[in-house]
Amino acid sequence: MLAFRAYSWFLSRRLGLTLLTLWGLASLVFLMIKLMPGDEAQMAAGADASAAQIEAVRERLGLDAPVIMQYLGFLGRLLRGDLGTSIVTLQPVLADLEKVLPSTLELVVIAMLLNLAVAIPAGIVAAYRQGGVFDTTSRITAVMLGGMPAFWLALVLQYVLGSVWRVVPISGQQGYGMNSPVVTGAPTLDALIAGNFAGFFDTLHHIVLPAAVLAALFATQIFRTLRAALLGVLRSDFIMAVRAKGATARHMLVRHALPNSLNPVLTLSGAQAGAMIGSAVLVETVFARQGIGAYMFNAVAQKDAFAVLGSVMFIGTVVCLVNLIVDILQLLVDPRIRAAQLGSQGQ
Amino acid sequence: MTAPAIAQPATARRKEGFSTFEIFVFTLVIALLTIAVFGPFLAPDSIYNSDIANSLMPPSATNWFGTDDQGRDVFWRLIVGAQTTLLSAFLVVTLYSLIGVTLATVAAAGPRWLDEGLMRITDIGLALPGMIVALGFAAAMGASLRSAIIAMAITGWPITARMLRGIMRQTMEQPFVAGAQVLGVSKWRLMTKHVLPNSLDVLIVKWAGDIGTTVLVLASLSFIGVGAQPPSAEWGATIAAARGYVSTAWWTVVAPGAAVAITSIAFGLLGDIIQVRRDPSLRGN
Amino acid sequence: MRIVHPMPDESTATPVRAPLVTVDRLTVDMPLGRSGSSVRIVDGVDFTIGVGERVALVGESGSGKSLTARALMRLDRLAKLSGRVDFDGIDLLKLSDRDMGKLRGSSIAMVFQDPMSFLDPLMTIGDQVAETLRIRGIGKAEARKRALAVLDELGVDRAAERLDAYPHEFSGGMRQRVVLAMALVGEPRLLIADEPTTALDVRVQDQVLDLLDDVSTRRGLAVLFITHDLGVVAGFAERVMVMYSGRIVEDGDVASVFAKPNHPYTQGLIKAVPRIDQDLNTLYAIPGAPPPPLARPSGCPFHPRCDQRFDRCGKDLPALLPVGLSRVACHLLDGKGA
Repeated sequence: MLAFRAYSWFLSRRLGLTLLTLWGLASLVFLMIKLMPGDEAQMAAGADASAAQIEAVRERLGLDAPVIMQYLGFLGRLLRGDLGTSIVTLQPVLADLEKVLPSTLELVVIAMLLNLAVAIPAGIVAAYRQGGVFDTTSRITAVMLGGMPAFWLALVLQYVLGSVWRVVPISGQQGYGMNSPVVTGAPTLDALIAGNFAGFFDTLHHIVLPAAVLAALFATQIFRTLRAALLGVLRSDFIMAVRAKGATARHMLVRHALPNSLNPVLTLSGAQAGAMIGSAVLVETVFARQGIGAYMFNAVAQKDAFAVLGSVMFIGTVVCLVNLIVDILQLLVDPRIRAAQLGSQGQ
Repeated sequence: MTAPAIAQPATARRKEGFSTFEIFVFTLVIALLTIAVFGPFLAPDSIYNSDIANSLMPPSATNWFGTDDQGRDVFWRLIVGAQTTLLSAFLVVTLYSLIGVTLATVAAAGPRWLDEGLMRITDIGLALPGMIVALGFAAAMGASLRSAIIAMAITGWPITARMLRGIMRQTMEQPFVAGAQVLGVSKWRLMTKHVLPNSLDVLIVKWAGDIGTTVLVLASLSFIGVGAQPPSAEWGATIAAARGYVSTAWWTVVAPGAAVAITSIAFGLLGDIIQVRRDPSLRGN
Repeated sequence: MRIVHPMPDESTATPVRAPLVTVDRLTVDMPLGRSGSSVRIVDGVDFTIGVGERVALVGESGSGKSLTARALMRLDRLAKLSGRVDFDGIDLLKLSDRDMGKLRGSSIAMVFQDPMSFLDPLMTIGDQVAETLRIRGIGKAEARKRALAVLDELGVDRAAERLDAYPHEFSGGMRQRVVLAMALVGEPRLLIADEPTTALDVRVQDQVLDLLDDVSTRRGLAVLFITHDLGVVAGFAERVMVMYSGRIVEDGDVASVFAKPNHPYTQGLIKAVPRIDQDLNTLYAIPGAPPPPLARPSGCPFHPRCDQRFDRCGKDLPALLPVGLSRVACHLLDGKGA
């Protein structure tokens, strides 16, 4: 019972912070709207709108009311899921984004898997053989990759691997005639659902380079963080105790050193999941993929201000929710955090 | 209450010679700064005009990095762009450091509710994806280099504010501060004369790494289209403009991207070097 | 504290036992940063430990006693070891990492100073005790059963319910029992105890010592007990070795060393043990501090602190030579050997 109360206390506090952040985000987006030069109603209605249409929008958004009322009206509309209307697609921004979100999530999930699959083993080997050849080369690689602009890396690899060596498709999400009926909106899943295995491998073939580019940038951070954490843990006493039991290096690393180093990695990868969604804006367009990043990019190009700001609101919200989920996961994984978080409030 | 980690006084730092690697990084940074300051004075006027007859020429003895779609020399445009890029990055880091220092000082010296309020705002800032919010601000203010700089300045401060506020609180708990307070020194005087100078050390360590990151973010915003606009020689904008020619004239894309990468890596490494020199226990990590 | 255990053989002062461990000119070098140079912490140590024998290794911190102990198990990854460590006829220093790993935990086990920092905070007690067996391919249920048996034997209350508890949920004394259980579950023949009582309060110290005494007697377990506290040695060990600046300076059975210490350093250490009838103001301490390993004095490393030094002490390094039933490394005793 005590534990239950402590859990709910932690959860409500964490949820409160998330709500506060979302409110802060909404206020920032409202500020952005107010910062826009020119007539807001005109911007919302589009450049070609008639005077009557503009007035109708002005009426609907309550733009003649005092700013504080406009602000409250804006928050109210957000709560109802109204992120504004795109002047290009003429659809509600939320509807547009919902349509392409699965495609972005697919990219981010695969990028995250690649990221962890490369960075964690590399971090372990580098830390265990500190100062060795692998450690040195992987640290240099990490520094180099960490300094490269994502979109540039995407362009260069697209050119080299797509155009020159032709090992991956240059762009798009699937080859001609490979598409499956849309169910989830994520091409890989749709192909699986349709039982279209050729299509499934085709979508994977299309996603591997964009995901790898996205992963590369974030893998450098995971690598550095895990390596530093492991170096600390490997110096600690209990690792010696584990070795004294006769554990092999592999057992010691995987069962003891790694779990004790995973905390900062988990925190970071949670933050990364959010940042990756943000960075999708840099990668999706280069590879002509659908997604919220590409949507935002096009909105910027077409000066579709409300679509841009709606995307900011949407991406920010997704990031906050991902961070919330990661924090809760962390609580479940680490008994020390559990003890610290719950214990301090449990009495 | 955990004991504050007190920074080593400057005199205790061990003076060591510079390694080859460190000298290499210093040289690189100094070279980049020199290019940024003097580059525009050296560049030939021809790079400001198009010369369609010579467009997309591959690298040669006359055009080291080739020419772009307008027939302008890629190498000299990079040299000119260095000033725009680095100056913008300096401006951004300076602006958000000022915001960060101000907020941290107010939070550390002010009443508890103000501290609490400011730190919650900082939490919000830390929880949001900085580049996306900056993108929103820049787009809202009208896409331009100026907008991008302002947008990055108003979204970049939370980490600085959080760090400094923590360090200031630690400084304020040290005996000499309490002593000065007993002697009747006013709180604001204490803050500006003692606490703030102690914190600047941290800013200096952070500065180089911040420049490296900012160069990357600025290039990204320009690439998306909310930063510097063509025909600016800013590197991100240059890549954006050359995007379509990657398969016909790879040098137009590779060169400016490499410039961004080298600058970002050089300043990042400089930041690491300063940090390790300040705290030798970090060596090898 | 009074520990009662039968003396194995009352007729001789030092019972003759088959040797279990024979250490011969063991040196331990630790690297200094990444410069490539290293420092010799343990400088040529030889001793034996008999089957079932309890030996104390005493010295101030920095004397190299802990590194000597860890060298027997090759626990320091960075340390460079040379010499011979024979365990049951096998030279441990020549074994592959893999074979050494097989001996750790099953033939030689170790308990450590601070039980909290030597337990993995993220693994349950039951899993940590059973781990020694699990590593050797023993099934989960069987390993758990044997872990529980050892925890019960060592007097961990409600052991069955607490197998799934984490280290932070245990008290200091209980944690030390858990650490001891971790070491004993593999049924080793030699237990190395590295200051196992130092981090505990006095009452718990006595409990743990009694326990260790009890278990080693019952299991016929040889124990190498590392400590800086001679007071603990008297009740527990049969033999004591005194280490100073990386070398053994005196080695003898507890009774004779306490009755008549030969080396001036041992004499100082015994004088420094506080007694209950002693005025606190007269507490003795050996003047000075042990030399850092990088700046050992010439000759006998103890001579700058020695109140009986003479010319030769600053010049020649004294060898560890037999004196009566003991071995002593001191020029004062040269020629008095048996």
